[in-house]
Amino acid sequence: MVGSLLRALRSPRVLLAVVMVAVIAICAAFAGFLAPHDPAEQNLLSILTPPAWQPGGDQNFPLGTDSLGRDVLSRLIYGARTAMLVAVFASLGAMIIGAILAHIAGYFGGVVDWIIGRLVDVWMSFPPVIFSLILMVGLGVGLDRVILAIVLVDWTRFCRVLRSEVLIVRRHDYVAAARLLGFTHWQTIVREVLPATLPLLITLFSLEMAIAVVVEAILSFIGLGVGPNQAAWGQMIADARQYVYQSPWNLLLPIFAIFFAVAAFNLLGDGLRRTLDVRLAETGH
Amino acid sequence: MLGVIAQLVARRLLVAIPILFVVSALLFCVLRKLPVDPAAMSLPTTATIAEVEAKRHEMGLDRPLPQQYVIWLTDALHGDFGRSIQFGRDAGSLVAGTLPATIELAGAAMVLAAIFGLGGGLLLFHLRGTFLETVTDFASILLLSIPEFLWGLILLFVFGVVLQVLPFTGAVSPNLPQPHVTGFLLLDALWVGRPDVFASALRHLILPAFALGLAFSPAMMRVLRSSLFDVYHEDYIQQARLRGLSERQVLLRHALKNAALPTLTLAGVQFGILFSGTLLVEVIYSYPGMGNLMVDAVRNADLPLIQAIGLTYCIAVLLINTVVDSLYLVLNPKLRVR
Repeated sequence: MVGSLLRALRSPRVLLAVVMVAVIAICAAFAGFLAPHDPAEQNLLSILTPPAWQPGGDQNFPLGTDSLGRDVLSRLIYGARTAMLVAVFASLGAMIIGAILAHIAGYFGGVVDWIIGRLVDVWMSFPPVIFSLILMVGLGVGLDRVILAIVLVDWTRFCRVLRSEVLIVRRHDYVAAARLLGFTHWQTIVREVLPATLPLLITLFSLEMAIAVVVEAILSFIGLGVGPNQAAWGQMIADARQYVYQSPWNLLLPIFAIFFAVAAFNLLGDGLRRTLDVRLAETGH
Repeated sequence: MLGVIAQLVARRLLVAIPILFVVSALLFCVLRKLPVDPAAMSLPTTATIAEVEAKRHEMGLDRPLPQQYVIWLTDALHGDFGRSIQFGRDAGSLVAGTLPATIELAGAAMVLAAIFGLGGGLLLFHLRGTFLETVTDFASILLLSIPEFLWGLILLFVFGVVLQVLPFTGAVSPNLPQPHVTGFLLLDALWVGRPDVFASALRHLILPAFALGLAFSPAMMRVLRSSLFDVYHEDYIQQARLRGLSERQVLLRHALKNAALPTLTLAGVQFGILFSGTLLVEVIYSYPGMGNLMVDAVRNADLPLIQAIGLTYCIAVLLINTVVDSLYLVLNPKLRVR
């Protein structure tokens, strides 16, 4: 497992993805050191200044300021923190719930499987955007609420895909052997089934991070996201939309930031899928 | 054959209908459990507690939840979805007034997504084995990373703001009349014989439809390519080549037909999500559809309206999935034998 993870790093694409993720992670972790200004600090004397390399730009604000005179670079960096927090915790939560239910359903089968399967069906008939909007009405704005909403909406992504994987794994002889050796169901699942489904789990996790970044941006864009006191890329876009003629960079930079983060996680997920998925590697795709 | 297909479609619908009931019940319960009091919201802020209590009783909010649901469901089945708190109008008619615009947008976007998905998938497959394969494969993942709402903003910026070639607000120029016959603007414009309205509506539709179409095609491209790969391992492809068919004939007449099936399955899921993806695109382009109405309702915690719109989206998704599944049955003879 560790070996194949290291092998994955040899692919230039995965390497690129790791570097991109690292850039965002560093921005998120060291936002306080990297950002030249407080992201909420308003400089009403210099509003909507263009980036420093353009005429009228101010060296003090490398990427310009927004309509309230807040430093765009600092807001982008703090936005990365918001995006990463949501991506990591929402994906973890969705993965844990989805994986537990998937293992239970796939391992035990029968009635339990049927019930979990129908639960997923019902869940999936709610379009994700609509579902998360409705949840945000009830939960109210805030970082933790956004994370909770994404967990509640997206656990099905893990559950559906993993369940079929568990179904395949549990038919293997070594799983039956573990039971014959006297392993309890719990031990069999954790020691025998889970390691076999782990590669898929990691891949799905990476792809879910990309989805979580998008959902957070969407909710913040609509104004039902992390709340006005926290810098978020979606919010920056919503603000910049009204001033698109005066300062197009304010719109383009957060768009690029979202694209950069989503592409990083998608490339990572795709690279991991190629190297970790044994069956895929065998057929040569 | 038609009988068999009708039977299978009916079976598929039989699964969809119970799901719909469960979904509507869940939606109802979630919205009732919210810390929002529809009674207090529909009264002026000066109302006394006694007045609010009276209103709660009148609205049936003091009864047990299952009973409330049955009342709501009975009304809903008779076409009454309650009154929107914010607009003071029947929620059902508000939804009916905006749904056609959303369907028009989603329909146009699905056609574009299918065209891009098919074209892109064939192109990706055609470039297999060349050095361009790596480049296009990489590019397709980057494309996959641009969700519809970023496409909406990018297209708006490039074609609306910088190049100024296409309109990007509303569904038709504000100085033109909006005919109301069926509610479908493009159809109505033709119906009343206004080619200028039709042209304007079409121009307004271009950017939002492309934003959605571009966002939902990369996944289809990639599935089509990988299922073409799978199909090319089959014996009948070799057989077709031995019969002297050209590569193009092999691809279009034999491989594509079989590779289309997994793509179609994905398209069913994708089109369901696409339909709800119209929400963001509508917000970005101020398009007068159900998505904008939903965002309005959500911002004002307008529960009856949220409920009616939420249910409409769910029905649309279930309907799209059923239609695509049925199409799958029509195209895949293997599944018809029972």
